[in-house]
Amino acid sequence: MTAARDVLRERLGLDRLAELRPGEFAAEVDLKQLPALADQAAGAGLRLATLFATDEGPTKGFAVHHLWAAREPPGFVRIWARVAADQARFPSLAARYPVANWFEREVMDYFGLVPEGHPNTFRVALHDDWPDGFWALRKAFADDQPVPRVPGNNPHPFRPVTGEGVFQVPVGPVHAGIIEPGHFRFGVAGEPVLYLQLRLFYVHKGIEKRFEKLPWRHGLFLAESISGDTAVGHALAYAHAIERLQGIEVPRRARYLRTVLLELERLYNHIADIGAIATDVAFTVPASRAQVLREGLVTIQERLFGSRLLRGTVALGGVKCELTLGRRKELLMHLDRLEPEFDDLIKLLIDSGTFTDRVDDTGILSNQAARDLGVVGMAGRASGLDLDLRRDQPHDAYAALRFQVPVEVGGDVRARLMVRAREVEQSLSILRQALQHLPEGQALAPLPDALPASSSALGWAEAWRGECLHWIQTDEEGRVARLKVTDPSFKNWPALGRAVPGNILPDFPVINKSFNLSYSGNDR
Amino acid sequence: MFSILSKSLKTGIVTKKDPFSSRPPFGFPVIDFKACTGCDDCVTVCPTAALQTDRPAADRKTLSLSYALCIQCRECVEACPERAIHPGRELEVAAYSREQLTQRASFDVDGTGRASFRGMEALPGPSLEESAAKLKERIKGRLGRSLHVRQVDAGSCNGCELEIIATANPVFDLERFGIHFVASPRHADVLLVTGPVTRNMEIALRRTYEATPEPRVVVAVGACGCSGGIFGEGTYASLGGVDRIVPVDVYVPGCPPRPHAILNGLLVAMGIREAHSGPGGGETAPEPVSAGAPNLRRPLIPVLARGTPE
Repeated sequence: MTAARDVLRERLGLDRLAELRPGEFAAEVDLKQLPALADQAAGAGLRLATLFATDEGPTKGFAVHHLWAAREPPGFVRIWARVAADQARFPSLAARYPVANWFEREVMDYFGLVPEGHPNTFRVALHDDWPDGFWALRKAFADDQPVPRVPGNNPHPFRPVTGEGVFQVPVGPVHAGIIEPGHFRFGVAGEPVLYLQLRLFYVHKGIEKRFEKLPWRHGLFLAESISGDTAVGHALAYAHAIERLQGIEVPRRARYLRTVLLELERLYNHIADIGAIATDVAFTVPASRAQVLREGLVTIQERLFGSRLLRGTVALGGVKCELTLGRRKELLMHLDRLEPEFDDLIKLLIDSGTFTDRVDDTGILSNQAARDLGVVGMAGRASGLDLDLRRDQPHDAYAALRFQVPVEVGGDVRARLMVRAREVEQSLSILRQALQHLPEGQALAPLPDALPASSSALGWAEAWRGECLHWIQTDEEGRVARLKVTDPSFKNWPALGRAVPGNILPDFPVINKSFNLSYSGNDR
Repeated sequence: MFSILSKSLKTGIVTKKDPFSSRPPFGFPVIDFKACTGCDDCVTVCPTAALQTDRPAADRKTLSLSYALCIQCRECVEACPERAIHPGRELEVAAYSREQLTQRASFDVDGTGRASFRGMEALPGPSLEESAAKLKERIKGRLGRSLHVRQVDAGSCNGCELEIIATANPVFDLERFGIHFVASPRHADVLLVTGPVTRNMEIALRRTYEATPEPRVVVAVGACGCSGGIFGEGTYASLGGVDRIVPVDVYVPGCPPRPHAILNGLLVAMGIREAHSGPGGGETAPEPVSAGAPNLRRPLIPVLARGTPE
């Protein structure tokens, strides 16, 4: 345990680094030290996983937290500093570490803390008509009241376009398909896209504030609704945070069942996405076939777990579902039938020249851009970023299971498709291992009635889209004082703005679908 | 090409003949109010206040259950010490108002605090039949047998979108009922709106509604679209149910509602199927149900008999 701490202390030059619990380290530093420590951490090979602020109360001011992920030794390192209430500013990292860009502006929007030295201090999360001086995540904010609208208060700066034949194409927030709302502004010269600007946060539901208001046991259901397609991923991240906070050991059987649930979620989403990519290049036969495979999965999920989208299956302290031997066999048989069908589907796609012509070299996200923007998960792995918390910082039963992390280097739509296809193979293998070696015993550990006071913990899970992080902090009475949700989409959306320019506008839908980012998870 | 054809022939037809034939393991909770002792355990565990209790007088108590708010988490079923809450298996729940999705029972409370069932309370507002007639009158002769639907996500978590997309998959195949999703509100007869309506989507939703030609029927989908759900109503960011912003004709509760339920809601909006709001429905007392086999289904107008292809 302490060996890892000592290694990290030495690498970061941080003697005060404490080990809160296995895999979780923290150190308070002076605000001015944050940029130098960021350089130190990045130099030591750590990556910035999330950045957020907390309101420490009327007398103590605020705090800014940088959470770094270390691969070797594995762990999350939270370096944080206090911000005096009358100062309300903190040094920005965004110029050197672009991954910090949206995070710092979100801190600015919701806490009113100014990131000093940030190259672009326009609002990211707040919309134009949000009045000045209303900071939703400060404790003093009246969250149960509507906020007045001030039309045109802070117009979003869209890039002007000039020149003959060059024009802008505004799209959204209400889109043509059945998808979530967001606004895209394309600068185009005929068909080729010159640039893409994103205007998101249309579905900001105040989720982080809501966590502070709901009883912590009910927070699990809110976590399931952060992004409906990642119900298990976020529920697990939340449950891990609560369990780590309380020091609860989750029974082995529950850990295996959670793995089964998370992999099933990966499976149905990846298969649906592969079909949707085919839809977006008008290749309807494989699209329909993928929809049928996906429907087969969610139907059996409903039969076995009571919910098509696996809601209400993860519980704090374990799982709320049971898998008898017969049902396990049924699921295994379903997977055995699915596998050759899925192989046929992939073969149909990649053997078709009309299909590969549309996806090869389309929407390339370079390895450098992915690295700079801190892209995570499936999209990162398709651009050569070999990251996966299931292997790097295993949760649930992953440490006991054998699997590979597929990585592609192309960074195009094809690469994102192939990473999904290969992950489906791996998921099938993980599911078979977990189902065949499902330990006997309890699947739910009893939880204490209260959360420890003035404490904090991090929960994480590698969901199908990428890492979901939940950082929880409690106040002196053990209530939830802050819950920071980091959905993989928040880090991956800016990558879309890098992958689209240079392509033609009609390829935008398929590029967008190949990332399939969550608006709700991003906007929260 | 040959492989595509042979595969398709081998696969055959996957579309369900009757999409409404299956029963889920869990739909909405069904309360046997006669067995309720008023301990309020279910009210405490409910994360969305779908279960609420009130004490109008020292010896009186009410317990209400709203399917508009229910996220189908099953916590109440597990929490009830009297086992008075059963897992309902009702699928096709839809109604014309929030009240029609609510049941309220009143109880006498004795000196020890124990409650005993008095009867179901009538809730204000029109009955399902009255509402159905009113909607039929409004759309009379204007929709025919086809329906063009514009989906609007006014703030959902995307769970409802996944299930709306599923209604169009080869298994449910809503196009056989003459229902099509269209790309613009100007082409739409119906707005299928998911919620909660966020502050940042309020204006876009209003504008979409205004851009839709009459009779512009609005179907609110999901617990959040019906009531704000887990995100609440009237917070700084979540304004709540769709009806807070635009008039809603049909409510399809659930978290998320299953594709069958969404399909049913659309057919209710077309006047082809009867709305059905589960036991009670704000009008009648529920029949006692036994666990595992509750059957509270009303006769359905057979859709297939109307000449729709299978």
